[in-house]
Amino acid sequence: MSDITRRRLLQGSAGAALLTALDTELLGDAAAQEQPKRGGALVYAQLSANRRAGGPSNHKHPYFTVDANTKPIWSTPSWVNPDLGWELEVATKIEQADDKLNVWDMTLREGVMFHDMTEMTAADAVASFDYHRQNAPFARQIVKVEAAGRHSVRFTLDAGNSEFPYVLAEYNSPIMKAGPLETIGLDGIGTGPFRIVSSDPNRSMILERFEHYWRRGFPYLDRIEIHNREGQQESALNGLRAGQFDAVLNIDGRAATQFENNPNFAIEGAKGGYSFVIQLPKHPGSPFLDKRVRQAFAFAIDREAIVRVAYSGRFGWVGNDSHLMITDPSFVPRPGGRDVARARRLLAEAGHPNGINLGTLYWSPQLPEAGRYFQVLQQSVRDAGITLALEERPNDGYIQFRTGDNDLTRGNFHKFAMTAVGSRNPGISMFRMRGAFVESGHWRGPEHDRYLALYQRAMVTADAAARRTIYAEMQSILHEEVPAVLPAGGDTLLVRRRHMRDMPYHPQIWSIRFEQIWRA
Amino acid sequence: MLIAIARRILLSLLTLLMLATFIFVATEIMPGDALDVSLSADELSMIPPERLAQMKRDLGLDRPPHERFGAFIAGIVQLDFGRTLISKTPVWTIVGYPMRNSLILAGAVLVLAFPLALAIGVTAAVWRGRTVDNVVSTGAVIGYSIPEFVIGTLLVMAFAVAWPIFPATITALTRDPAATLLAASPLAVATVLIGSIAYLARLVRTGMVDALASDFVERLRLTGIPEWRIVFVHALPAAIIPSLTAAALYAAALVSGIVVVELVFAYPGLGQELVRGVTRREVHVVQAIALCSATIVVALNLLADLAILALDPRTRRA
Repeated sequence: MSDITRRRLLQGSAGAALLTALDTELLGDAAAQEQPKRGGALVYAQLSANRRAGGPSNHKHPYFTVDANTKPIWSTPSWVNPDLGWELEVATKIEQADDKLNVWDMTLREGVMFHDMTEMTAADAVASFDYHRQNAPFARQIVKVEAAGRHSVRFTLDAGNSEFPYVLAEYNSPIMKAGPLETIGLDGIGTGPFRIVSSDPNRSMILERFEHYWRRGFPYLDRIEIHNREGQQESALNGLRAGQFDAVLNIDGRAATQFENNPNFAIEGAKGGYSFVIQLPKHPGSPFLDKRVRQAFAFAIDREAIVRVAYSGRFGWVGNDSHLMITDPSFVPRPGGRDVARARRLLAEAGHPNGINLGTLYWSPQLPEAGRYFQVLQQSVRDAGITLALEERPNDGYIQFRTGDNDLTRGNFHKFAMTAVGSRNPGISMFRMRGAFVESGHWRGPEHDRYLALYQRAMVTADAAARRTIYAEMQSILHEEVPAVLPAGGDTLLVRRRHMRDMPYHPQIWSIRFEQIWRA
Repeated sequence: MLIAIARRILLSLLTLLMLATFIFVATEIMPGDALDVSLSADELSMIPPERLAQMKRDLGLDRPPHERFGAFIAGIVQLDFGRTLISKTPVWTIVGYPMRNSLILAGAVLVLAFPLALAIGVTAAVWRGRTVDNVVSTGAVIGYSIPEFVIGTLLVMAFAVAWPIFPATITALTRDPAATLLAASPLAVATVLIGSIAYLARLVRTGMVDALASDFVERLRLTGIPEWRIVFVHALPAAIIPSLTAAALYAAALVSGIVVVELVFAYPGLGQELVRGVTRREVHVVQAIALCSATIVVALNLLADLAILALDPRTRRA
């Protein structure tokens, strides 16, 4: 389980401190000391709705609800806290059953009630994870799930995974009422703090307080109304200004600056929400086959400038060319910082004394700041003699476009391109740099093999501190090899009316605790 | 007369068949597929390529285009647009209520726009060249020229934010009754109404100006018939006939063209569903919406043709 505190993390992050200071200043001490009140409603607009569109037949299923945040309705065995450590949730114990870490035992909390007032048991967890392992990418590693008692469950994985409890905290890992695979979850019945009253597929959902929620005394609110305003930030913010919404989730940094001086609103941010990975292709003929070119590119990027321009200086952070977010306790800053002279030297050694043209960097507007982000990157590498063209591609079909074929002999190569990545535990994040996956640009070689061997060792290392040491070594390989670059990332942001209290945001946008929010 | 009607119906059916083919090709050449966009990069990172290929096969995304086209045309004939790719929901249950809602919004606008445009257009024509005509003509040009999203945004800033008497964004549900939807949508209706009145009033004014300057109206005036009777009983019907086709086409375009307004106000209509269908690569939903919109345009155009056939004997001989 996590042994880091939020205080320690904030001490290590200037950006996070800025955010905290901003919020404290805006809220004032008086608000922080108020006692929570019961009652009232929260009406919010969600700008990052569920990617899986629900229809009339499945809109109450946790995979297809209007908001991918399933925690208000369903409980998961574990929960990822804002410091990215995991905590027990509806389970009272999650422990490995063997030294190989591929068998895990879970004990469920007793007396947890579903919204239809039946008790949650191991049978529900088994039926739920049998569904998840066949339908949720993160749960595919589960090869068998079985009941070991009325409240005990055993998971068998295809390989050791020391961070398996994180999988049990995913938004696609809720415990549903047991049922056949074809119909499980469609009733919308969970054990969360709120139950579904009505749902309009893809558009809105109304929840009301569940009086028998297992966390006694919660939730505070009587009702939550969720309205999908995906891709309609202005419409959502107009609704907020007009008093129709109490909060808008997942706004961008520029929108946040519109509200920060308004006494009626408060901005909540969570450091380390997401990042952009730039895959550097290593197919035949690519300049990125030469490690020195990759290193030069990494040294030439002015990461601070990206944070300054694309994230207003406060709502972003400098990446370290791994998939880890800055708030992850395993995150190791990239040594050396920006070094244009070194970049030029590396290029000269690689046979490009007069600079190099890297071709076209493709990007898609997955997040509003992407355009500004890549323009700054393009400008900054020019100082080191690196030129590149930028080409915006539509989000539609972008994955297919940038990925190409895994088999490099077929000639449909992956592209020099970006994509957004979310905040996850190191076990998931660092696996993304494997050679068999496109985000590493199909990285190969002895250092890659050493990286993977270290990864496999981390996955069977139960001790968190020992694992962190391994992750640090893996990051030092990435800093040297630069299979991909992740120059900077952004924070997750929401804007709320001041009468909504205890509504901090979370780097994993699906892990916000709605039961703790109250209305003054 | 019957031959003329039959010819127009046949032409309409042929137009629809061509449109169906065009819609299929257009959706076929869109990049990516429903599986690509339903998976985030985070999820994608966990799926091996062979499993991804299997998922595409399971969803039927690997079927050749001619097979899918055959199924598409067969579905149209049976009024069955199939099921969504990811959630397997019948397309009609996705598209039905949004279509009703778009028709409600367009219908409300037209019910208000036609009489208002008629009154304004006739007034401007009767007082042609006077101040009232200048004001109407200038106002119509401005009203028709400003994009609807600008009008909508200005109305929101004025009547929802600065002076909060109407909602800025529509939170009514897709299946709410028509009255609830309209009560939640005053600014959306007003936004479309401004452009509609501007366009239709210009049509009516032009027709009326021509009619009032025609020889038959001059002869009526010489017989001593009161001016109000000349305007409303004789000139107005003559002025409306040429405007009928343009008005019918405008009404059709309104149903399919209020996408922008629906997005500005988050109105639960076809526009929202179309954008969602395109961004999520639900080709069956996109095809159904495009074809239904096209059918409405063709049907209203046909109705206008038939109305003109009935009202204007000269067209029957053409």
